[in-house]
Formats: sequence, structure tokens, C-alpha cells
Amino acid sequence: MQRFEKPKRRSRREVGGRKRRSMEATTKDEEKVEFDASEIEYVSYSGEHHLPLIMNLVDQELSEPYSIFTYRYFVYLWPQLSFLAFHKGKCVGTVVCKMGEHRNTFRGYIAMLVVINSYRGKGIATELVTRSIKVMMESGCEEVTLEAEVTNKGALALYSRLGFIRAKRLFHYYLNGVDAFRLKLLFPHPELHPSQ
Amino acid sequence: MAEEEDRTGESAPTVSKPNSIPSGDNSVWADVSPLLHAASQDLQEGELIHGDNFNLFAAMSAVEIMDPKMDSGIVCTYYSLDEAIENGAAPVPISADKTTDVQCTIDIMDHLLACEATWHKGHSLAQTVYSCLYLLQPERTSSHALLHSYCKVIRATCHAVLSVVSDTRTHEEEDIFTMTYDLPLGRDGDEKCLSMLNAVEETISRQLRACKVLSSKRRISEDMDPLQSNPDLEEGYCKALLCRLRFRKHFYHLLVSMKRPQGRGLELARKHIASCILEIDHIRKSSEFLRANAQKMSKQNVDNTTASGCQPIGFDASLNSRLSAPTPPRSIKILCWEKVLEYFMKLLQDLDIICSYSLDPSLDAAFLFVVKFQKSQPDLVSRAHLQLLLVQDGRLYGRDPIFSVITKAAGLPEVTKIHDIQKNECMVHLGQLVINLLKILCTNAAWQRRKLGKMLQDWRVTYVQLELAFKKEFGEASNTPKNENICFKIFQHILAWVEEQTYWIASRFLILGFELELYTIHDYCMVYWYIYVVLIKLCEKKHLRMAMSSGAISAKKKPKKKKDSLKDAGIDYQIPAAVLFLQSQMYLAEGLSMMFAALRNERRIVPPQSPFNTEHEIFIQQFELLQKACLPDRISYMSFKESTVHASFSTLAMYDYFKEAQRIAKEVKSSFANDPDKMAELRRIEQVAEHNSIALNVICRVGALDPSLNISFTFCHHPFFATAIVKRS
Repeated sequence: MQRFEKPKRRSRREVGGRKRRSMEATTKDEEKVEFDASEIEYVSYSGEHHLPLIMNLVDQELSEPYSIFTYRYFVYLWPQLSFLAFHKGKCVGTVVCKMGEHRNTFRGYIAMLVVINSYRGKGIATELVTRSIKVMMESGCEEVTLEAEVTNKGALALYSRLGFIRAKRLFHYYLNGVDAFRLKLLFPHPELHPSQ
Repeated sequence: MAEEEDRTGESAPTVSKPNSIPSGDNSVWADVSPLLHAASQDLQEGELIHGDNFNLFAAMSAVEIMDPKMDSGIVCTYYSLDEAIENGAAPVPISADKTTDVQCTIDIMDHLLACEATWHKGHSLAQTVYSCLYLLQPERTSSHALLHSYCKVIRATCHAVLSVVSDTRTHEEEDIFTMTYDLPLGRDGDEKCLSMLNAVEETISRQLRACKVLSSKRRISEDMDPLQSNPDLEEGYCKALLCRLRFRKHFYHLLVSMKRPQGRGLELARKHIASCILEIDHIRKSSEFLRANAQKMSKQNVDNTTASGCQPIGFDASLNSRLSAPTPPRSIKILCWEKVLEYFMKLLQDLDIICSYSLDPSLDAAFLFVVKFQKSQPDLVSRAHLQLLLVQDGRLYGRDPIFSVITKAAGLPEVTKIHDIQKNECMVHLGQLVINLLKILCTNAAWQRRKLGKMLQDWRVTYVQLELAFKKEFGEASNTPKNENICFKIFQHILAWVEEQTYWIASRFLILGFELELYTIHDYCMVYWYIYVVLIKLCEKKHLRMAMSSGAISAKKKPKKKKDSLKDAGIDYQIPAAVLFLQSQMYLAEGLSMMFAALRNERRIVPPQSPFNTEHEIFIQQFELLQKACLPDRISYMSFKESTVHASFSTLAMYDYFKEAQRIAKEVKSSFANDPDKMAELRRIEQVAEHNSIALNVICRVGALDPSLNISFTFCHHPFFATAIVKRS
């Protein structure tokens, strides 16, 4: 899954001037939960009561905490891009995103995507992120980007299925010395398909 | 958003010292404390004030004080260096017992070496090498000659490494490497580190000689104090110290030698490299003795950063961690002893490769040397030294003016290298591009690819400008090939060379994507197809440029390189070997592209069906930078589709590109008998081509859709040309 972390160092290149380090969620020996896909309920972020759920989930699955300001920055500015997945009332996954101008393009950015370990492999993350990307597309984004660890095979496969390409490799992006891929999804543009 | 207010905290100046900065014409200081106090009454904990300029950077800059994961300023052990020293964290001498003192000194030396390697690998200097408290107050160690001289040489060495890396700016994303935070680095007196180190080395050599001469039962001669108090251990400790000191000495020497202009110190540097390698071997061998005699009571070194296995005294990384505030603290894992020695061995070997380079005046040779050097994935320090050697004062090797290098590369006669045309704005710009290219080729693969991609457009623009200048100068005459004017010739040759170079950069950009794992199996078809179309152009441009050059040389009557040019000039209806070499790669790329197209067309490889975009968008994204620079011209997704949409195994069987690649590679080998790198590449091409040709035949015979057929790809024979593996289950 895409993970999102505290900034680690100044960078001359990135938007916002800082890099973010994603974290590899520790694989716990939790048993997989048996459930039917229809039992998962997806809801859009709808207020303050969802904030602790998102924070708990990210804190629980990712090793470094974010300050509450980081969460608020995302969910208050782009509540329509954040989604939560519930199973029988329990929050089991979430996606947090942003969008805005970047070098003359309007682009979306997937900041955090988390599904708790025992619920992975059932398409919850795909559904969450697909919902966000749809809203981005409808809002006029031209492309969507994110960073993922080069070792995070699951996330890379997921985003590849959605049409993302590996645009760049970011050397020693993470604290642990692991590189990142910058993934990019370009939406079709009418001018690009003159023959269609 | 109830908590949002259009106010930015940053712009409000605090007025702790109202008189320190005078008010200006348009500004006046005001105390905003009451305003902030009032505002804070309206906020609940965790609420956020932001304005339009409040961005992710600002949000993430917030640090929760006293959270050890966020707060770099948090006190871990000591408030200050002084407090640490008062608490005995870095005693001088380390122990009153001389044997223990020596043991501890060796541990400090070893851990410092480990810290140094960790720093080179891209961590902060403050939290690696300068976690050593002894380094932070240089004068404190002066009574301890051994430790003092070692600390001095460490500071001087760090300074030397840092200056090369900062000067060359090869540190790319590893910008953290060069941050020094005012640490005592290369202080006054540190440049004398070698004389002090030599004196200490001399003393220990004499102690070693003394203990060897005298039998262990007898007292050691009165005029020479032993290193430590246990005669049985004297030899072992003397030796362990000597190799460590000598390593430092030679390492410092080699860094200084390598920095000498125009590669004048390379030969000397090689001698020091050989000595360093020898001393590393001795250091390695001393481990057994050090482990056997390690202090039983000392703490176990969990990170295993010393030869003895003991925890070193006098290190505290947390003391410096607040230097990195306001960014959160980073946990740094210091490399283990084995990895440290491995790292330095690799560094020395890489530096040795650089030192043994012949400083070939041909630009092509320089490019190929760097590309080959990069194959072993050298680390930052050696890459910085390579760049320093290649480009100094805007000249190749600090020696050859860039315009003369370009004219030579473009196959122009010697007289052109001082021609006034070099003052032409476009030519000046071209010179800068060549220098930038050399520098970029020395950076790590990830950064290199990005920079090469961006650079393509600059090369293209420069080409267009040169062409305009050419047409302006010569008008319609620029179309006639038989113009004897020297300016005409210079333009003509350089234009051809720039085009060739641009396609070379394009091919390198595409190929680096394999090394960086940027392509998935679904991208291979279009990537190989693009490599193929770029290689066609590269072949074409190279051929044209070579034909021009051979003409130029024969016109000059006295060819400099007799054999080659005569051969080329005599048989210019034949394709030159250098072009054939590229053609073998070109056919391989075409073959692979068609093979992947056939696998897709016959539904063996099913590309992902994204709900959001199509192959067309993937194509645009993959080759955006090439397309922007029109490389090649008139190449689009449509042309890719047209060439691949009908690919099938039945047609591939009739025209086997792999066989063609194999045939050319085999044929052209004889021309490269004296070039081991090209020979190796040709052998690899032959291997891949042969395997793929066989795989193609099997698939054709069995039928691509046969479920018992298992088709996979590997890069076992070539770094970027895939080999198909076909198995029947």
C-alpha cells in the first residue's frame, strides 16, 4: 500500500520542499478475516468523527506517527478525496489524498492508503483508491501521482493494474535507504486521441 | 472549516528583542503576544490555523514536542557536550590502565571507520563520524598523542571528501551528505595531521621492534616505554594500531593525490590505494587477536562495528541529532564491521579504476569509460572523484578545451580546434552541454536518467539553433555538400555529431530504465520498439558522421590514424563496424518488440485493463521527454501501433530478427578483437539472440496458446535485452 511518512530532509526538488518517507507496514501474524466483499461498506469522509478512525488506522499500520495537523491538512481541504472502509462497524481501511496545481497541471496525489493486515488481498485498497481517483478525474485532474517503496510489490501491482507507470526512481528516498518509485497515472485527454 | 482563519503564524514577528532590528519605512514592530493569546483561546488542541499559503510542507513541519519520533531537540542522554564530558562520557586518557587504553582506542578507531562508511553511504556527518565526542573538541585530546593524531586525520579526511563531493555536486538526492552544521571540520592545524600521524606511527614501530628483539621473559629496554603493560600482548596491539594508522595515512594521501589537477597525481594515488588495500588486509587479520583479548567486562557491541566486538567509548549520536531540527530525528544504523571493510575495499577498487584511466583525449572514449565504470554501481565518493577528473575549469581532464574535444569527436581536422567559430553563441552553448553531460553521467543511475531525459530537449534546441546559424551563414549553399569553406565544414560536421550524440543520450535514457526497474513486462513491447527506432536513427547518424569524417581525413591527405581511416575511406560503401555493432542491438530490440507484440496479439500476455486510461496514455507517459524533443521526428503512438498490431508468431518465423542480430554480431566480432568491452557485448547479444530465436521456434511449433507452454523472461544474459525462457510442463 502507499504509505506516507514524516518528512525526513530538505529537498530542492519536491513540491513543498520536503520528502516524505513511506513506511513498510510490519506484517503481523494476524489471521485473515473471512468475509464477503459485499459486507464491506465504503464511505466518504464526512466529519470530525472519522478523523480518529483514520489516525488510528495509520498509526496502527505505519510505524511513524504524523502530527494531527498533517491529517487535518488533507481531510479538511479535500474531504471528498478521503474514503473509509468498514466491516461490521469496524474501520478496516482508508485512503487520504489531495489535489492541486503542480507546474501548470492539475494533479491528484495519493498520500496514504492503508488496509489492516487481516483484510488485505480482497480488493479493499483497490476500491478505496479507485473511488478517490474517480473524484480526481471528475474534478478535472490531468494526472495522479504517488510514491511507493520499490520493495512494496503489492502496492506496485495494484497501481500497475490501475494504469500507473513508474515514472522515476528516487534514490535513497527513504530513511532506511530504500529507493522509491514515483508512480503516475495520466488520464485520457481529448486532444491526445485525434483519431477517436 | 470552523478552525480556519485567514492568518499565518509565520509572518508575525516575535519581539523578544524589539530593538535588535530597526523598523523600516513601511514596517513597524508590534507585539502580537496578546493577539496570539486571544486566538489560542478559540482553538482546541489539535486544531489548525491556515491561510492560502498553508501547504503540505507547512502541515508536515509541525512537530509534536517531546514525541521522541518527531522532536529532534528532545534530550536523550545529555543536554550538552560539556555535560557529557563532565559525566565522563569521553575520558582522556580513556583508561588509567595502559592496556585498556589501547584496547579502547582501537575500538574508537574501528567505530569511526564504520561511521565514515555509513556517512559515505548517504547519512548525516553529524550523526555518524561526529557522533564521536572526541572529534567535537579537538584540543581535549592533545595529551593523548595516539587518539589526537587519529582524530586530526579523521577531521582532515572528512574535509577532503566533503570538498570533492560539494565541488562536483554529484550528491544528487544525498544532499544530506554535505551538511556540516558548523562541526569542527578541517580545523587549523588539522592539515598538519600527517606529520603528527607519522610521529606516532614511528613510535609504535619502534615499540614493535623493541618487543620483537627482546624475549618475552626479559624486561623491555629502558629507553623505550612499551605501548602498554602486558608484554604478551605488545606485539599484537602494536601491529593492530600500525595498520590502522597506516591505512589513514595512505587514505588521506590518496585523496589529496587524486585532487591534483589534470590527473597528475593519479599514478601516486594508485600506490597509496595499493597500500590501503594491504593495510585493510592487516586490519582484517588483526580481528582475531583483538577479539581474543577483548575486555571481558566491556559491553557487547550490538551493532558489531568494531573488530574486537566491544562497544566503543565516547560516542553519542543523540547529542548531535538536534542539529537536524526541525526535521524529525533519523535513526541511523551504523554499518557492521564486515560491511565497513567491504565498503572500503570497493571504494578503493573503484578509485583504482579511475586512477588507471588513460585520460583518452577522445570524448567518445571518456563517455564509454564512465558508462562502463557506472556498471559496477560505484558509490558517491568515487563518482565525485571521477567527475573531478573529467571536468575541471571547463576543460576535459582540466586539460583539453571543450571545443577542441568536440571538433575531434566530430571528426574535424586538427586546425579547426582553435577556429574562431568557437566564440559563436551556439558553439559556447554546445560546450556547456557537453560538460553537463559528462557531469550527469557521473551521477547515480536514478538521478542520471532524470537529468538525461530533461537534457534531450536542450540538445535538440541547440541542434536547431546551430542549424539556423548555419543556414544564416551559408544560405542555400548549405545544401551543397562540396563546399570547401572551413566554417562550412565545421558546422556540417558538428551538426551531424550533435544529432548522433542526441540519439546516444536518448538510447541511454531508455536503457537506464531497465537498470532502475522502471518497466514492467507490459511495457516491454513499446520500450523495445522505442529503443529500436532510436537505434535506427543512431545508426544512421553515426554512419553519416563517419562517412563525413573519413572524407575529411582523406581530403587532408595525411591521415593521422592511418589504419582505421584508410580502411574506412577505402571502403566507404561498406557499413563501418561501429554501425554494424549498433545494428546488432537494433535487430535484437526489434525482435524483442515484435515477440512481445505477438505474445500480446495472441493473448499470451494480457495487459492490465485500467478503468482510467489506455495503452496510449502509457505510451505518452513513458516517452514524454523523447516526444517533446521530437526524438525521432514523426514517431507517435500511432506509428507504434501500426508496426506492432499485426505481429504474430507465424510472420515472425519467416523473418527472424534474432537470427539477423546474431549473424551481424558474429560477423562484426573480428573488427573488435582488441576491444574486450565490445567483444563481451557482442557475445551477450549473440547469446540473447540465439536463445530467443530458439524460443521463437518452439512457440511457433507448439502454438502460442498451448496451455502446456510456459513463457517467461530473464535478464541473465544481458542487462537490458530480455531472454525468453520457454518450458513445457
